[in-house]
Amino acid sequence: MSGDAFLAVEGLHAGYGDARVLHGVDLTVGRGEICAILGPNGAGKTTLLRALSGMIRVRGDVRLDGTGLARRSPDALARQGVAHVPEGRGTFMPLTVEENLRLGAFVRRGRGAVGADLDRVCAYFPVLRTRLKQVAGSLSGGEQQMLAIGRALMLRPRLLLLDEPSLGLAPLVTEELFRIVRAVNEEERTTVVVVEQNAHLALGVAQQAHVLESGRIVLSGSAERIRADEQVARSYLGYRV
Amino acid sequence: MSGRAEVTEKPVRADAPGRGRALARIAAGRRRWIVAAALLAVACSLPFQLVPFRVFQFTMVLVYAVALLGLNLLVGHAGQISLGHGAFFAVGAYGTAIMLDRWDVPHVLTLPAAAATAFALGLALGLPAMRLRGLYLALVTLAIAIFLVPLLKRFESVTGGSMGLTLGKPAPPAWTGLAEDQWLYFLALAVAVAAFLLARGLLHSRVGRALHAVRDNEAAAEVMGVRLSFYKTLAFAWSAMFAGAAGSVYTWVIGFVSPDSFAVTLSITLLAGIVVGGLGSFSGPLLGGLFVMFVPGISQDVNDAAPGVIFGLLIITVMYVAPTGLAGLAGRVARSTKKILRKE
Repeated sequence: MSGDAFLAVEGLHAGYGDARVLHGVDLTVGRGEICAILGPNGAGKTTLLRALSGMIRVRGDVRLDGTGLARRSPDALARQGVAHVPEGRGTFMPLTVEENLRLGAFVRRGRGAVGADLDRVCAYFPVLRTRLKQVAGSLSGGEQQMLAIGRALMLRPRLLLLDEPSLGLAPLVTEELFRIVRAVNEEERTTVVVVEQNAHLALGVAQQAHVLESGRIVLSGSAERIRADEQVARSYLGYRV
Repeated sequence: MSGRAEVTEKPVRADAPGRGRALARIAAGRRRWIVAAALLAVACSLPFQLVPFRVFQFTMVLVYAVALLGLNLLVGHAGQISLGHGAFFAVGAYGTAIMLDRWDVPHVLTLPAAAATAFALGLALGLPAMRLRGLYLALVTLAIAIFLVPLLKRFESVTGGSMGLTLGKPAPPAWTGLAEDQWLYFLALAVAVAAFLLARGLLHSRVGRALHAVRDNEAAAEVMGVRLSFYKTLAFAWSAMFAGAAGSVYTWVIGFVSPDSFAVTLSITLLAGIVVGGLGSFSGPLLGGLFVMFVPGISQDVNDAAPGVIFGLLIITVMYVAPTGLAGLAGRVARSTKKILRKE
């Protein structure tokens, strides 16, 4: 493994009960990079993110800036600065937008800092500021996805895991989301791992990309290279060049 | 469920001036306090208007309301189920009875001791139980309730066995000039108000938010750093603590405990009470207390032979008419009257 990798995953195995999904995943993500995980349905993309945030048991080695993360509980990982925007957003529907955001900073102490972060997150997502006292269940799908990402930013994450942010959203909203993720990455140097079906969009913001199939990384490289690779496009990303 | 669906369908009110909305919120907050103050005033005048038997009944409503506050915390706010809440009520009641009977502990001190005992027991039982969920959790808590009655009968030297224990009630101090039933009522009212404020404080804290997160989406709460088993266990212990406090006041008021008062049916009636009263709402425990106190009696009056059937039918009717409980129904009625008034 290269010495300067911020996130280093080696021989990662994970699954649900008897069903094994990941069969030895190796990948590295550089500090401050956006890394896209691509691949067909059922390849194990969501499982990989769950493994990285401690939601499922894993075998293998995961290091964040040199600290071992494998086999630690989700709350320990949250304390380490790993923020996970789960599949389907995980909005707490009956709570207000502000309560949702404050829950994002649950493991952090200090009211003043959390208040400042509310402002910081609302600067990225101005629509959330107008909705702070509103019940989160009344937001539109796009707004809920913004809330989910904003909530993850409340942790001041070192590593941000995004699971299919485009799911069920209009193309314009999705583009806006990716633009904001890019802005966060540039302004805060947050390392981002994004799982995405929409390969075209993901490759547009990412520097690095990995293609996952049947629980293994079958291709890694810079985003441009993967985008340019016609063979890859045909077999894994499902679109014609 | 329908309540949540309503929320999503509500059109988003865009561009309402922020200042106006803030003022409306302050007004709404003040209105809530006015309602609470009015309710308290009515509650304080009640024992001077009613005959002693009725006063006793309303005292019991308050006792049940305290127990239901705890159950509401667990079921309504943390989203866990308990079919054994009556067991913690019994722990409080028997704890108080034993303290009074054997050591002549002053009444005031029995309440915190009973609540603390129930809390500790809730913590000890919650630690393994709260790793379970759904039906498994229901079954384990039910087992706690079933286990209790034979246990109480077994240790006869301490608990008085099947005969139970008879105890003195707290006497009203001379300066109050109150009769015994009125004094007991005010004691129960004081405990209920304190319990209500405590529950309110808990729910508005960071921990309260964690409980709501666990209820609404366990997986999302977990990745946010909320330790599921810890907060579930804590909620279980708190709910037990409220039940223990209620049980303690029960013993003060009734002056007698026996194992058969705390059979499994008590736990089930309490769960029915909070569901009918309104899960997760602040008025739910009070409405549930009224339900638990009066509905079994009404059922008896309707049909002497089968009070259980009438009780069951009433629960079904309430749930059919008001799926979010009586508290939800009251809210709906208030909203529609407001709408009608606005139209005129």
